[in-house]
Amino acid sequence: MATGRVTILTKPPETLIIASAPVISNTEVMPGTRLLWLEASGVAPSASPGQFLMVYCGRDTLLRRPLSVHRVDGDRLALLFTVVGKGTRWLSQRKAGDAVDIFGPLGSGFTINPDSKNLLLVAGGIGIAPLRFLADVALKEGKKVTLIAGARSAASLLPVSPPQAFFNEGGLPSNIHVVNATDDGSEGFKGLATDLIPAYADGADQLFACGPAPMYRTMAQMPELKGKPVQISLEIMMGCGMGVCYGCTIKTGSGLKQVCKDGPVFSLEDIVWEELEI
Amino acid sequence: MSPDLTVQLAPKHEHGLLLANPVMTASGTFGYGTEYRQVFDVQKLGAIVCKGTTLEPREGNPQPRLFETASGVINSIGLQNIGVKTLIREKAPIWADWQVPVIVNIAGDTVDEYARLAKELDGVAGISGIEVNISCPNVKAGGSAFGAEPDSAAEVTKAVKAATSLPVLVKLTPNTGDITKVATAVAEAGADAISLINSVKGMAIDIIERRPATGNITGGLSGPAIKPLALALVYEVAGAVELPVIGCGGITNSADALEFIMAGASAVQVGSATFSNPHASLDVLEGIEQFMEKEGIESLKEIIGVGRG
Ligand SMILES: Cc1cc2nc3c(=O)[nH]c(=O)nc-3n(C[C@H](O)[C@H](O)[C@H](O)COP(=O)(O)OP(=O)(O)OC[C@H]3O[C@@H](n4cnc5c(N)ncnc54)[C@H](O)[C@@H]3O)c2cc1C
Ligand SMILES: Cc1cc2nc3c(=O)[nH]c(=O)nc-3n(C[C@H](O)[C@H](O)[C@H](O)COP(=O)(O)O)c2cc1C
Ligand code: FES
Repeated sequence: MATGRVTILTKPPETLIIASAPVISNTEVMPGTRLLWLEASGVAPSASPGQFLMVYCGRDTLLRRPLSVHRVDGDRLALLFTVVGKGTRWLSQRKAGDAVDIFGPLGSGFTINPDSKNLLLVAGGIGIAPLRFLADVALKEGKKVTLIAGARSAASLLPVSPPQAFFNEGGLPSNIHVVNATDDGSEGFKGLATDLIPAYADGADQLFACGPAPMYRTMAQMPELKGKPVQISLEIMMGCGMGVCYGCTIKTGSGLKQVCKDGPVFSLEDIVWEELEI
Repeated sequence: MSPDLTVQLAPKHEHGLLLANPVMTASGTFGYGTEYRQVFDVQKLGAIVCKGTTLEPREGNPQPRLFETASGVINSIGLQNIGVKTLIREKAPIWADWQVPVIVNIAGDTVDEYARLAKELDGVAGISGIEVNISCPNVKAGGSAFGAEPDSAAEVTKAVKAATSLPVLVKLTPNTGDITKVATAVAEAGADAISLINSVKGMAIDIIERRPATGNITGGLSGPAIKPLALALVYEVAGAVELPVIGCGGITNSADALEFIMAGASAVQVGSATFSNPHASLDVLEGIEQFMEKEGIESLKEIIGVGRG
């Protein structure tokens, strides 16, 4: 918002859309995690990686649930969500032909610097949700993407491969490199995604991470990441999703921030971990 | 012919406060009004009430600040706000170009703070009225809300009225013994209108973590869960005072709003419903209009209080 007296449009563009989005498909892609494709012409084209939607999740819920934009394909958009409670359970039961009420795109997402050549993405569990969209956009921009994906076991790893369209448009398969880590060693490296960061951080111009808070806390301590530009996506209870209720406020190095509006993407070094109660 | 939806919210005030329609937004659920311009034309509303504002900016309460309950939500925001000076500098100039009146909700820890807030806001272009939130702790009386007792509620009202020429709405808390006594005291102290209710004190416990579910232990419950309670209180207050009453609490659609109007409210405020449906307030307005057309009601005044029995 501008300060002082400025020329104000009496009717600024209404850029946030509430849409009843027809379900194209809703499939369980991993145990307890579903991929929901929606027809969302008003929302999909304007969404950018790291942004989220507030999704209406049935009569038993009062507040909408924040879910990251997982993929965009023209007018279509996908959400990837784990069933953890009543809202996500309701959402898991939507079938092709039903409609899901979405509001967005919201928040301030990831920023890829034009100068960056090599990007390192680190996903912890369902944290893959926004990073897939980021990887798709980065690849399109000709960046080299290394994705470290961590999960409990092989069954909970989302296969990440660019669609045929990407190759048709001249995308380089060598630009995407996926490294898996599992807690039980059933696939790839046995251990945490963060264990692998030191080995890959060196060549990365920028890092992007999404996962549980302990993952970020570990990253905040890593000497290998000192001085590196690292962007993370935070999760917190949200009311409005657009900066009016102050339900999602956190303290950062640059003052109070609203996760829904100023984030959910923040710079890792900006988060005051001792102050963060989430 | 489209029905007459206008409402005079401050008939005793020398300039009055005329709204184009009875649908307002509730404080704390609509920010500064500016945000929702990204969603719909906020100028269509009757009035916008902005976030509770204090003399100095406030950081608010520790997380978690929100917890969903059965048909409701508990909030413990703790009045995080930008402070009155920033509001006057950054928000009021935007409002000055709007047709829709903006009412500033104020909160203080002492009577003097309320008076100073009212004085700061007096004569600022873009501000059409003040809503006094008396649900804040009364520091002098050891932390109970000003609105909990008729005497302290009246004292705040008097101080605010004396400090401003703007129309003054006083917003009541349901957490009091006899709300009609508080309403009467506030009316006698010079309030131009009364709005009610603020959120209801509530609590939830996280049984796994074995601690309160919100950071400030208790919080304020809002949403459909409080609607019957709010409606009964609006009914009682509208019967006890001559002033316009603004009904608030759990309104999610036009039928809810019409219940409040028929209980005696001259206007309504839409609060938490905006979170689940960002244009809930506009939907309420359109629904009221349609109802009136369908029922052949020419003026809103015809139905205010008609459901009191
Ligand atoms: C910006 C943002 C993006 C998100 N993106 C995704 C995503 O892409 N995929 C995904 O699976 N999840 C995502 N989440 C988390 C998702 O919002 C919650 O899992 C969801 O709200 C739970 O709703 P529910 O009704 O199923 O669970 P509830 O019944 O409400 O609660 C079940 C559990 O989930 C937790 N929970 C509830 N709401 C939230 C919340 N807003 N944030 C964090 N935890 C919560 C509660 O603490 C509780 O323990 C995101 C959260 C945020 C803030
Ligand atoms: C997140 C949130 C913040 C609020 N902040 C304020 C406030 O600053 N001042 C105030 O007078 N009321 C505040 N309220 C109370 C509402 O204005 C309203 O009175 C209450 O929520 C009941 O209405 P509802 O059920 O329609 O939400 C707040 C409510 C919520 C949910
Ligand atoms: S969720 Fe309402 S301000 Fe962020």
